[in-house]
Amino acid sequence: MKSEFNRLDPLTRRSFAEKTAAAAFGLTLMPTMDKAIAASTAGKAKHVIYIYMGGGMTHLDTFDPKPGADTQGQTKAIDTGVAGIQLSEYMPDLAKNFKDIAIVRSLTQKTGAHGGASYWMQTGFQESNAIRHPNLGGWAQKALGKQHEQLPDTIYIGGGGPGSGFLGAQYAPLPIGDPSKGLPNSKAPVKGGRMEERLTALEGLNRPFTDKYHTDEVQAYSDFYDNTLEFLQSKELEVFDLKKEKKETRDLYGNGRFGQALLLSKRLVKSGVRFVRVGNGGWDMHGDLWNRGPGKINEFSKGVANLIQDLKAEGLFDSTVVVLTTEFGRTPKINARGGRDHHPRCFSGLIAGGGIQGGQVWGKTDARGISVEEDPTTPADFNATIATALGLPLDKRIFAPNGRPFFIANKGTPIQQFFS
Amino acid sequence: MLAFCNADMLFWYSLQSAEFDRFMKNLCLFLALACLTAIPAFAEEELRKWTDLQGRKIEARMTGFADGFVGLKLKDGRDMQFPFNKLSENDRGYVRENAPVDPATAAYEIDKLVWARLKEANADIKVQRAAIMAKKDIDSATRNKALAKLAHMEKMTHPTKPLSDEAFLRRVYLDIAGRIPTYEEADKFLRTPSKTKRAELIDELIDSEAFVSHFFNYMSDLLRIRDGISMGGFNNMKSGAYVDWVKDQIREDRPWNEMVSDMLTAKGYLWENPATGYLLTDFGMELCNLSNTFTTFAGTEITCAQCHDHPFEDVYQMDFFKMASFFGQLKYDARPDPELMKTLAAKKKEYAAAAKKAEKNANDLNNFLNAYNMNLGDGDQNKIKLPFDYKYDDGDPNQPITNPQTYFGEMVKVEKFDGPREAFADWLTSEKNPRFTINIVNRLWKHVFGIAQIEPVDNIPGHLDGQAQNYELLKFLESLMKEVDYSMKDFLRVMYKTQRYQSEACYASPTLEMIDKGEFHFAAPVLRRMSAEQLWDSLVAMSVPDPEGEQRLTRILDEYRELMDVDWKTMTYSDAEALRARYNAMGKPSVMMSNNKKKNAGPTMIRASEMRLPSGVGSFLYAFGQSDKKFIENSNTDGTIPQVMMLLNGSLTNQIMTSKDKTLVRLAQAEDSHDDGIDIVFLSILSRRPHPQDRDYAEKLVRGGQGASADYSDLIWALLNTREFMFIQ
Repeated sequence: MKSEFNRLDPLTRRSFAEKTAAAAFGLTLMPTMDKAIAASTAGKAKHVIYIYMGGGMTHLDTFDPKPGADTQGQTKAIDTGVAGIQLSEYMPDLAKNFKDIAIVRSLTQKTGAHGGASYWMQTGFQESNAIRHPNLGGWAQKALGKQHEQLPDTIYIGGGGPGSGFLGAQYAPLPIGDPSKGLPNSKAPVKGGRMEERLTALEGLNRPFTDKYHTDEVQAYSDFYDNTLEFLQSKELEVFDLKKEKKETRDLYGNGRFGQALLLSKRLVKSGVRFVRVGNGGWDMHGDLWNRGPGKINEFSKGVANLIQDLKAEGLFDSTVVVLTTEFGRTPKINARGGRDHHPRCFSGLIAGGGIQGGQVWGKTDARGISVEEDPTTPADFNATIATALGLPLDKRIFAPNGRPFFIANKGTPIQQFFS
Repeated sequence: MLAFCNADMLFWYSLQSAEFDRFMKNLCLFLALACLTAIPAFAEEELRKWTDLQGRKIEARMTGFADGFVGLKLKDGRDMQFPFNKLSENDRGYVRENAPVDPATAAYEIDKLVWARLKEANADIKVQRAAIMAKKDIDSATRNKALAKLAHMEKMTHPTKPLSDEAFLRRVYLDIAGRIPTYEEADKFLRTPSKTKRAELIDELIDSEAFVSHFFNYMSDLLRIRDGISMGGFNNMKSGAYVDWVKDQIREDRPWNEMVSDMLTAKGYLWENPATGYLLTDFGMELCNLSNTFTTFAGTEITCAQCHDHPFEDVYQMDFFKMASFFGQLKYDARPDPELMKTLAAKKKEYAAAAKKAEKNANDLNNFLNAYNMNLGDGDQNKIKLPFDYKYDDGDPNQPITNPQTYFGEMVKVEKFDGPREAFADWLTSEKNPRFTINIVNRLWKHVFGIAQIEPVDNIPGHLDGQAQNYELLKFLESLMKEVDYSMKDFLRVMYKTQRYQSEACYASPTLEMIDKGEFHFAAPVLRRMSAEQLWDSLVAMSVPDPEGEQRLTRILDEYRELMDVDWKTMTYSDAEALRARYNAMGKPSVMMSNNKKKNAGPTMIRASEMRLPSGVGSFLYAFGQSDKKFIENSNTDGTIPQVMMLLNGSLTNQIMTSKDKTLVRLAQAEDSHDDGIDIVFLSILSRRPHPQDRDYAEKLVRGGQGASADYSDLIWALLNTREFMFIQ
């Protein structure tokens, strides 16, 4: 069978024209028309829950404590049950479940600016003003085809990250602001019968125009209306409604936006969505870290531990990669305002499920948490690790509409140890 | 009076069906009417001999040229108006050279060139059809398939019908003003009996503030103008000054070549010289900036040559770095006033101490003052080096490249200019540059008609012949741009005055394959979905009576200049804080205040060009494909489910449907009868009055009593969700 990627091999004026021409005529076809192609590698995960700590999460006070070091501040370390591995005292739930998670302590970045660093982390590429790179959800859809018939493959809950870049709008993430409010604009402002009357009239009013202009673009919009109306009456919509969950379940995740976003991410994954990104801001703690930090750290530790338990209970843990990361760490040196500043030299992340062996640590920083001592891991490497878990081909060239070739995860090296 | 219907076209006319009949009649009528307007006179020209096509001669001075007629003053003092097209070729050349461009004549030339190409294509299709019919060795299925394809192609070479007044009205408003007309605007135009009202409306709109707003959206996609100008490791500063500068250039119709040159050579602080915004957009990314500059202004994609020789064009990696070195001396922190920097350093300490005392955070104030660190200038050293992995024979890894040179067009003598940036700008914007003018006319053609002469617009080949859809037309457009001295407004005026523009959109869409094989010939504007901004701005037009009213604009440039032009030595902490507070408040339109008081008043209805750039995830503009302003022309009109949900169920459409604060509901409810209210709603949303069959549906959707108790919300909902609303015919 001819690979989907061969079709993309362009190096002709023709394919250069594709994006532009598509833009000229308005619409591209329905996203569901994407043909699935067989994955070439063995990754078995089908979903990713990608938790992003925006602002630069402190590594010393979370995954990489240095008890006794002058840089540690007030944060103490606790045991995880795995010999020699400790986490910060603010994360007892994850420490208890450490056998389920793998952590990376040797992430390292080349920039200390939020925008550039978070772009790099979430795409694997350095930010450029000449091209926009897709997020991993977009790459996965490109490589594997659309996973869900009706729902988008990539959904962002709470805040935006990189979009679908040069892949275009049919790969774009669906944004959801407040998880408790569900899918925006999914409720009709008028009741049943009246809506019916509106729709009947709409059809009649549309007809002269659609009869005259039977172009693909107009037809595609009409299809979008039909699909959306169908979707709005379908069961799929319920997946966004957290009220369908028991109160106890909601409580277990934590009742803040973040906990509820994790619960929603599980519901989405369960219904087949491939890539869910949960955004959590407020990590840029230049001051007052020990007032602001512990609560937030405890919140995610509890939420993520519960998410993992829930995924296990649903039988989804082996097919779902749970990732938690950030754009950079924070300075070991505590500043005059009781905070830590930007520290791209080293930071930490978590990766669990989806066939990844838990209970282990990759990489090591020095005794004071200043720089990486062993196995430096770049954003590209980290992306390559997630991509490998999903079975994405890292060695296939994919061409942007301007003809430039790219590789998923930018030729990063996956952390093989996690897969053995 | 059928001056413009030359023999060539009449031949074509006689060949074709009733469809062509109508087209030609309309074209002739249009031009015949044009001469009814007075020809503006200009300074007297020399007395010379004129010859017409029949060889007749007269002696006269040229006094004017407009709407296809040349004003002549005969020797005996009599005035006459002579059709331009009846003059000898030599005389036409004289008129072109000595009179300002006449939009009507230029528009006619364009129609003629489009026409000639369509005729050629049509004849070619006939030959192909005959060949297929003559073929004996093919089965009927294959033959039918080939014939069907030809039939489709032929259909696309047919001109579409001229636009009705209603469709014309809607189209020019969307294309020039960036929004649908308000009810009053629509009503006024449709009621005007004037025969010249179309040309007048085009001129009126091109000179309006609405045009500035719409064309700015186009420019901000092209130039990637977004909120926040990077200050290196510091936070961003407001880009409003640059935004205002670009709007000013549009408003004042600054020639494109001068505007581009200003951006590439700009020096100083952003508020002093806001054109610096262009280079600051790519702060610290000089190589990306160069790629973007080529794409934007020369229609040439050379990004790949940054890392290796271009795979299929003659651009070598060395070329890229030689061009990059034109910008190798660029400095973002030139700081020409050391005294000021010293003062500010001392003041920052003073303010920090004062802030601490007042238990306040000095971060915002520091950020405000850090803007003085950003000053665009040129250093002595050229910093460009070949990359560490340079692998070709003509240079070594890390070798400094200090001899800027271009790889096409004329060679540049850098020493003749103030600096390499000036040399580059001169070369790029020169009339002699083979791509600069072609690039902008090609882009503007696409802006007007929806598809460019050369697609994609960032891949202008070395040889245009055979690559452009219509080479003669493209060359004409190039010379036209030069003749109007790179006036965007004058160029666009001509485009909008063509018959091709004032015709219905293509009824069918060309396939990608057809474009690629050169089987698509431009005959009519492409049917397009409204852009995110057009859609939003149209909703603004239904909501407020003055979409471009002064209170809805967000200009900051003048105030910013005033704020920054202070003597810092004398500024106390509280003075500085007051300035900072003003800085933070800048750019919020006055209508915002009134809305903030009321809860649930909905979003402030100001035009997209006055809002945050880009508008951000979750916003209406984002959902409908607004560009992220990070990548050149990165907007899209793709359909998505969230869009449809927003229109079906969103709070914004609900506001427009139900809120008495919004113009639409107010106007409709002011009418006594449902019938008149329905008229208002149709004219406000679709810019036309309802057809009889529309009325049947509409009546069922209007609820409640008469006048103020009538409820038009269901009807408004339905019209906002029609394809007719979403697409530009």
